[in-house]
Amino acid sequence: KTNPADPRGSGGSARACSPPCRRCRFSPVSYEEAHAPHYIAHRKGWLSAHTGNLDGEAHAAERTVEDVFLRKFMLGTFPGCLADHVVLKRRANQLDICALVLRQLPAHKFYFLVGYSETLLSHFYKCPVRLHLQTVPAKVVYKYL
Amino acid sequence: FFCLFITVSDEPDTLYKRLSILVKAHDKAVLDSYEFFAVLAAKELGISIKVHEPPRKIERLTLLKSVHIFKKHRVQYEMRTLYRCLEVKRLTGCTANVYLEYIQRNLPEGVAMEVTKTQLQPLPEHIREPIWEKEVKDKEESKA
Repeated sequence: KTNPADPRGSGGSARACSPPCRRCRFSPVSYEEAHAPHYIAHRKGWLSAHTGNLDGEAHAAERTVEDVFLRKFMLGTFPGCLADHVVLKRRANQLDICALVLRQLPAHKFYFLVGYSETLLSHFYKCPVRLHLQTVPAKVVYKYL
Repeated sequence: FFCLFITVSDEPDTLYKRLSILVKAHDKAVLDSYEFFAVLAAKELGISIKVHEPPRKIERLTLLKSVHIFKKHRVQYEMRTLYRCLEVKRLTGCTANVYLEYIQRNLPEGVAMEVTKTQLQPLPEHIREPIWEKEVKDKEESKA
């Protein structure tokens, strides 16, 4: 779905009106980025699912530090390939990393990176780590700002 | 307790008066679907189960918005914990183990569970009869 106001295409120019009116805006934004934090649990879900922040549960800080490291790791291991924020799910001992990936690299490179990151992270965190990737042709745009 | 073989033993099985399972989560939809699953599993095993919803708890924090000065501008965060309580009455130890194992293996991510078991035990032999009756019996025996 291309934006007719995209200055890179043959549509029109985004600079014709300043500030650009609703139809001339061009800045693609995904569903996650388009909604403010107060929409969590109403229109948005959670990017990281663990029990640390529940009432009477502990180790929230450890989970948060792990999350920060994992997101940086994913950003670095798949350079320019991540379409959206990485979703982290923790169930008992296991850690599931779910990511939407662009088709920038050939398939055999993706398979190698998946195996490499799973083994490395499992040895690092001493728990089974699984990576679930879904490829997408382009970044999924919700609206243009 | 995962066992592939059926074991038969002479020891009597432990009896539970009440099994109280408290499930905590941030998302009400996840809790609803998990409750449906747990109730379905209980019905399949022939366990009678009751579900009620304890009131939610909200923990609120008010922090300064800026890194330096601007005391009048703050940011508020809250953490909501929603509860669901599954009550099961009068269970045997084997049934309880099987049911809890199944339920716990299928806990969704971001959901915590607390289990409280109330066990039934027979009264110990030394307190079955009152002591004063035993003393009276001993006195009669010593007189006779």
